[in-house]
Amino acid sequence: MTTSDDVVAVLSTQPETRKGSRWRLRLSVVMLAIPMLAFLSYFFFYPALALLFSSLLTQNSQGIIGRPFTLAHFMRLVDVDLYARVFWTTLRISLITSALATVLAYPVALVMVKSRPLVTRIITLIVIAPLVVSVVVRGYGWQLILTNGPKGMLNWILMTLHIVDGPVSILYTEKAVVIGSLHVFFPMMVLPLASALGKIDPNLEDAARMLGAPWWKVFLRVTLPLSMPGFVAGFTLVFSLTAGSFVIPAILGGASAVMLGNLIEQQIFVVYDWPFGAAIAVVLVGVVFAVNGLSMWLLEGRRLRRST
Amino acid sequence: MTDEHFSGVGAFILYAVTTAMMIFIMAPLLLVMAVSVSDSYFVTFPPQGFTLKWYAKVLQDRDFLEAMRLSILLALGTTAGSLLLGVPAAFALVRGNFFGVAAIKGFLLSPLIFPALVTGLALLQVLAKLGSQDARLNLLIGHVVVTSPYVIRTVVTSLQLVDENLEDAARTLGANRLTTFWRVTLPQIASGVAAGGLFAFMVSFDNYPVTMWLANSEYSPVPLVLMRQLVNVFDPSVPAMSTIIILMAMVGVLVLEKLVGLRRALAA
Repeated sequence: MTTSDDVVAVLSTQPETRKGSRWRLRLSVVMLAIPMLAFLSYFFFYPALALLFSSLLTQNSQGIIGRPFTLAHFMRLVDVDLYARVFWTTLRISLITSALATVLAYPVALVMVKSRPLVTRIITLIVIAPLVVSVVVRGYGWQLILTNGPKGMLNWILMTLHIVDGPVSILYTEKAVVIGSLHVFFPMMVLPLASALGKIDPNLEDAARMLGAPWWKVFLRVTLPLSMPGFVAGFTLVFSLTAGSFVIPAILGGASAVMLGNLIEQQIFVVYDWPFGAAIAVVLVGVVFAVNGLSMWLLEGRRLRRST
Repeated sequence: MTDEHFSGVGAFILYAVTTAMMIFIMAPLLLVMAVSVSDSYFVTFPPQGFTLKWYAKVLQDRDFLEAMRLSILLALGTTAGSLLLGVPAAFALVRGNFFGVAAIKGFLLSPLIFPALVTGLALLQVLAKLGSQDARLNLLIGHVVVTSPYVIRTVVTSLQLVDENLEDAARTLGANRLTTFWRVTLPQIASGVAAGGLFAFMVSFDNYPVTMWLANSEYSPVPLVLMRQLVNVFDPSVPAMSTIIILMAMVGVLVLEKLVGLRRALAA
């Protein structure tokens, strides 16, 4: 904008109008953001605050929500064993999924970044394509693979190859939820990692190699520390998304791996306990914000750079 | 770069894990597709024979067709809505170097880090209090909340690449601001706008965590209908439905790849 205004100013015979028009221009550019700001304020920000507010209210026997304010719903999540277990299950599943995703995504991201263009293209397509397939479909695919009993694909393969004698039972356990979540959120780990790895100067690795470092040492001392920003970003994403999932635990977890999302749905749609449902939602948001805050703190302060 | 970067045990581990993960990613989708043509009355493995009758059944299923129609219209409306809100806002973020622009950007992108499940629940509470009964309108609002930040991301990225000298040239030559935007700026950001729009469409079409709160029995989009079928139907019409959805998604991905390149579209 500056340049165009300068040109206009040179051509213009009345330089005193320039200042006003530029101010107006800047204001009019700002105004372009107002519709979306207003929309999100009213349909996102305000509802989120209203939900927080109603998690502090009391619901009477007629289902009417109002005062007095209380923290009872949050206490219930801590005190009632059943609900506390759901909280810990959610954290455990999210943590295991993100850890597994990290370990498995490093090799994929490395190959993706360092291979010939064709290989890179194919891997990218395979990693990203499932991202746009409905989570319901992907959960269903895993249900078919993990089906308990000899009719499931995994059991059929294992039994045909005589690896196991009888069918294994994975479906409707936490393991099944971890497998499904890993499948759904794996791209969220690979993409930030690949972008971080792509920014590393290959000369650094070459130098380490030429100085005699074996491959694992090059990875541990050069590649890994320099890719930390990608790792932190990916870990945060996978953790937050897994913690907030509903579909995968509903399809693959059954009654033994209920997560916070499923508990919220049950409280609202089955029990009609709005304040308690809202309280669980607030706790879920708290968990996600805590993880995101930690990751921002790690990324911003460059606290990840090794001093050695 | 060539593969000679990796050698020995390190290379073996890298390629073994990568291959295994490619199989892991493809397996459930390929299995669903394979089972959808199975000539048996229950979903079993291995699939038996070959038939397209389950597709015929799905294409006559009123619930599924209604859901398809609703989902496509909803996704189109969502795309239009999020472009209308997102493109001007992205323009303001890149061009208006005013006080607090970073904070506003953070605010506009915040639905991306907020658990969508909670976004939907919170919106349901407010819409219920407002007495907004029309599930279609409620779904549209909810989906635009979730998709408009994607438009911001893709359009901001492509706006930052626009050569402002071209705009200056157009202005100097006498074009007004609107003409300049329409004839000079827009063609340069077209791929970013298209990618944002396509993203909005796909996210809306697949959305479950917001949809589950705002839909009702009369207006249920595809993911909800599919979820209901999973529980109640055990013949291969469910995999047939799923395959249709997979193929539609693949078309979307290929278009996106052609338009901007997948990595760029997602890393934006």
